[in-house]
Amino acid sequence: MNQQHILKSIDEASKIVGKTWPLYSFVTSNPLSGYEKAPFEEALRSAKKHLNARVFPDSSQFRQAWQKKEISKGVLRSMLKEKGFSESPEYYLQLMDSGENTKVKNGNHDLDRIMAKWLAAFMDEGLAEWEMPNKKDGFYRAWRKLATYDGEIGIKDIRQIPETSSQALMQILEDYPEESYPHIFAYHLAALPGWTGYIKYRTESASLWQQEYPIVLEDYLGVRLWIARHLNAFIMPQDLNPQKDDNHIKLQYIWLKAWEKSWQDQLVGVLNEEKIAVKKPQTENDAPEAQLVFCIDTRSEIIRRHVESKGDYETFGYAGFFGIAMDYQNLKDGLTRKSCPPIVNSAYQVSEIPRTNQKNTFKAYERKKEVLRFQEYFLKRMKNMLPSAFGYVEGSGIYYGLSLLARNLIPGYVYALKQKRNTSHENFCQPEIYKTTDKEAHIHQIPLNEKVAIVKSAFDLIGWNHFAPLVIFVGHGSHSANNPFGSSLDCGACAASPGRHNARMLAKIANRRDVRKSLLENHGIDIPDETLFIGAEHNTTTDDIIIFDSEVPDSHQDKLRNLRVDLKRAQETATKDRLQKASNSVSVAQTKANDWADTRPEWGLAKNAGFIVAPRDLTKKINLGGRCFLHSYDWKMDVTGKALEAIMQGPMVVTQWINNHYYFSTVDNATFGGGSKITHNVTGRFGVVQGNGGDLKVGLPLQSVHQSDQEMYHRPVRLSVLIKAPLDRVSEILSRNENLKALLDNEWIYLMVQDPMRGDDIKRYQRNMQWVSTGAISERKEKDHPKVDREVLELITE
Amino acid sequence: MMLENNEQEMHPEESKEKAPTLFSVQLPKTVSFFLWFLFAGNMLYLVTSFNTLPNWNGAILRFNGFSLLIWTTVTFFGGLIGSYASSYLKGFRYHSRFMMLSLGFTTSVMLFVVSEHIVLMLFSWLSMGIFMSRLIGVESDWGEAQEASRFTQRYFLLGTLFLSAALCLLALYSNEMTLSGLINALHLIPFYIKLIAGLLVIAAALVQSAIYPFHRWLLSAMTAPTPASALMHAGFVNGSGILLTLFAALLFASNTLNILFVIGGLTAIIAQFNKLLQVNVKQKLACSTIAQMGFMIMQCGLGFFTAAVTHLILHGFYKAYLFLSSGEAIAHSRPQKPPQIKIGTLQAMIVLIFGVLGAFLFAIWTGKGTQLDSGIFLTLIVAITVGQATYNIGKEKSLSVLQKIVVPPLLFIAGIGTYALMYNGVSIVMTDIPMAAVPMPISMVQMAFGIVFLAGFFIMKLGVYRKIPWLYVKLMNLSQPYKKSILMYKSNS
Repeated sequence: MNQQHILKSIDEASKIVGKTWPLYSFVTSNPLSGYEKAPFEEALRSAKKHLNARVFPDSSQFRQAWQKKEISKGVLRSMLKEKGFSESPEYYLQLMDSGENTKVKNGNHDLDRIMAKWLAAFMDEGLAEWEMPNKKDGFYRAWRKLATYDGEIGIKDIRQIPETSSQALMQILEDYPEESYPHIFAYHLAALPGWTGYIKYRTESASLWQQEYPIVLEDYLGVRLWIARHLNAFIMPQDLNPQKDDNHIKLQYIWLKAWEKSWQDQLVGVLNEEKIAVKKPQTENDAPEAQLVFCIDTRSEIIRRHVESKGDYETFGYAGFFGIAMDYQNLKDGLTRKSCPPIVNSAYQVSEIPRTNQKNTFKAYERKKEVLRFQEYFLKRMKNMLPSAFGYVEGSGIYYGLSLLARNLIPGYVYALKQKRNTSHENFCQPEIYKTTDKEAHIHQIPLNEKVAIVKSAFDLIGWNHFAPLVIFVGHGSHSANNPFGSSLDCGACAASPGRHNARMLAKIANRRDVRKSLLENHGIDIPDETLFIGAEHNTTTDDIIIFDSEVPDSHQDKLRNLRVDLKRAQETATKDRLQKASNSVSVAQTKANDWADTRPEWGLAKNAGFIVAPRDLTKKINLGGRCFLHSYDWKMDVTGKALEAIMQGPMVVTQWINNHYYFSTVDNATFGGGSKITHNVTGRFGVVQGNGGDLKVGLPLQSVHQSDQEMYHRPVRLSVLIKAPLDRVSEILSRNENLKALLDNEWIYLMVQDPMRGDDIKRYQRNMQWVSTGAISERKEKDHPKVDREVLELITE
Repeated sequence: MMLENNEQEMHPEESKEKAPTLFSVQLPKTVSFFLWFLFAGNMLYLVTSFNTLPNWNGAILRFNGFSLLIWTTVTFFGGLIGSYASSYLKGFRYHSRFMMLSLGFTTSVMLFVVSEHIVLMLFSWLSMGIFMSRLIGVESDWGEAQEASRFTQRYFLLGTLFLSAALCLLALYSNEMTLSGLINALHLIPFYIKLIAGLLVIAAALVQSAIYPFHRWLLSAMTAPTPASALMHAGFVNGSGILLTLFAALLFASNTLNILFVIGGLTAIIAQFNKLLQVNVKQKLACSTIAQMGFMIMQCGLGFFTAAVTHLILHGFYKAYLFLSSGEAIAHSRPQKPPQIKIGTLQAMIVLIFGVLGAFLFAIWTGKGTQLDSGIFLTLIVAITVGQATYNIGKEKSLSVLQKIVVPPLLFIAGIGTYALMYNGVSIVMTDIPMAAVPMPISMVQMAFGIVFLAGFFIMKLGVYRKIPWLYVKLMNLSQPYKKSILMYKSNS
């Protein structure tokens, strides 16, 4: 018996479950990231087996796509034929209908239920006033001390339970061969993948709760197997359900590929047409009135189109954390949260300090915050205690009645009122950046060269060398009410926080004299004195753009005023476009931002399908329907290819995560998603369970990816990346980065390159560094192309 | 140029059987509009006829001020839930079914409160339960929800069984088939029959309000969509308050008020402790409801049926709000130590003064506790609540001295004021209900229980319970939902 072997087996087995993120910082990650090293199809087959999940779109989803002509007949037919399927697509659609899921009784029902009970009690983050006793000792020990009182398990004497989880595991596993350990562990970890995924999250993030109340997978298994032994539950995995007809999966995969190819062909077709269209003469030297930098988020595509059409404005796409690897200390609650992509280590910490002359406002704010905190505590106390709970209900009942009416009838009005009375701290604070150090006591200012590097890398990656008088960095955040999944709508590049603070921080650094001087002297980047950088936030629910203008000098006020007027107009047309409303679209959006009954306040990144890395010119005249991430990049300015490499290592991987998350949440919402919101039950202040309880839910809810119970909204297709750069440069980068190449070879994403050195030809990556021509133009002709093209084109260029 | 044909989005191609029909789109809106319309009508009637309330009795139906009050309340919640659901349940495949069931439930309550004939009464009581359990299982393809639905249905059938037995017994001995007939004939019925019938009515009420030991159905009912839970906690559980009020005379005659008082009081205390350890927001709200219902039953037991009805309406507002906003419970936080309870002499003095002032105000405005009777008990609770509020505000450092002196009276004047307004209104509306507010003389039982109550208060206040691990586990298991409604099924792909 060897403890090392057990730990290793646990580690190995744990790859089959994903990480469950807390809903207060919901990161859209790939639930199958543990399988990413394997080819897509193989990974999906294995996940299907372990998690009992649906891994491909089901026949009804294919049917919807088929009926909406999103799957090209020609493409599908030829792909089917290639694999030896000679019947009609409709025939196979019907064939796939037969493979629907069935429900069976859960063989380990009592064991699963008792585990869920204890896990929920232990992992609670302050929802219960009376927390589980002895939590400080860790999950296994705390459970052990209470287990004898739990009549459901039936252990009478604490001495019957080993003192540590590893002892428990060793005793139980004595009767089993060592090579079966990984199977046993995988089986038990996959029984409650939501909860075990949250244990994984806690151990990896070492959150404050984890530090105080530790829990590890070994504890979970120790408790579980010990209970299993007492209940006579299955310890060895039962025969997994026989794999269904292999043809089924093959067919599904062909349909999926045809769907993806159809979309790619459409994209390539539009881009090729754009190429043929007359090119706008480049007038590089005239700077536009203002430049706005948005996040690469798919939602930015819509607002950028509408902003650009309102005046002489240039927009860029850049990862929404604005290249600052930082944690942000929220002034409201004093908690520090990650504000950069989860794959990046935070090097900096940003917190708020009062601006000069604003010390008193700051103090007043702090006091107000204390009072608010007390209010919350006071209400909780009154509701919880005896007998005030009864007196409180009677004294406050009428006021709850009135609030019921207000929230039900006039949520939009209340929202607009609140927005007007904006007293947020951005008005009197400025962000200050520090180095993250081990000891919080030692706070270090960061040296000039690092500040310069942050600004320079933004310009490099975007490919940007001429500056307008106003440059706005626009982060984004979402507003919604009564929404446990609110943070899933915030900026993914900021680890599900709103991006405004990163934007403000970058603006502040870029405005510094010493930074600009160094940029000019050491890097030849000349920022005119007239240029002013300002932080802002795009509210993705209402398409309002708030500019944090409290430090704008008089010289720029006129320009800012004009910009504001145009942004208001952009908000009107953008909401019209997005919400498909002919009138009142802004107030409809405002209602959505504050309607406690709205389960779909906005669509987040649903429908994402592409990631385009190119100058805006390439896509400027195309309505991409909010389906593409857009990263600005100019191959001419990136001589070494370093910038492109950074984009492929960072944003490309993050977009893949997001895309995979949406994919799996759509194809099996019950397993990889959160299920329907309407029966959610918030647990422990960090997650949701369905109905009376059970496993913790892991992903996006049904309402984020489906239009209705039956109709999908997001299209479950893999991400197609399109880069405008010399093909050789891309190949070089791939050969340098084995992980990127593996991602492509294993078909987790697609890559296409528009090569400016070869007449802007678009080539598609195929396994092992092979590139094939897309040749989509001919195929495109046989499809009925949307008739509305011309009208939309006119609309945009009005 | 456009990549996506957005027009398709606007008019999704309709596949035959799944397309939303005009019926299924319009129905939910129509139903909630209808309920709001009814509410407006009732409210208008209630306000305009406040001084000349209707009081009409027939052989099958009856309509009086109390009926009007309950109609107003239940149509308010029905309409509210309807309009909430019309947005919340958008795209839900059983949206129409949900609305029809809600309408069915609302109608059942309305029917119950105007039923004069006991058969009609039993029928509407039963249909309330049937509609509610259907709402719990409205998602017919969800195995656990079906288990929960059947489980709750068994409770509701049991409740109806209790009530049927009670009414049959009374009808048999009095040869009367109407409620007022039964009540008027009570003096002709032997005491032991009244006692049995009284106990059966109480049992029916306990089931409906999920009072221990019949609490488990409420904790297993979260498979219902959130707005249905709001309707359950603001409407369904209140059925007991209505039932006990209608049978107040029987409870007096059978001398069973003390039983109500003790069961209600014990439930109020235990459930409040149970609430403290809940980690799921809806179960926490359910425990709170059980406690509040316990308190309401206790008010009945003290002879204040008017206070109980006031409580059920106010609690309805409170709990509906908390359910409808239950998605707000997500929060990033840091682990915190439980608060230390310490109190200085000066603070104690202020707490005492304000507590007495609050009690005084309450007594004047509601008339409760001015005499030496069971009303004192309710006044005492107000005094302690005011004291607790004052104490918490008094020790808060972020408030100025002025705030500490001004805020507590403002709060308790606003609270007691609106409560008194409501209570007095309800009392006037309920004047036609026999024995709706008859304070009981102070009894030994009440005194003894008052001490239990105070003990509960101190155990909670001082946080002693945290040191009793077995109690934690026992309470945790006591509040577990029905086994088969959790993780019972697995999908097999």
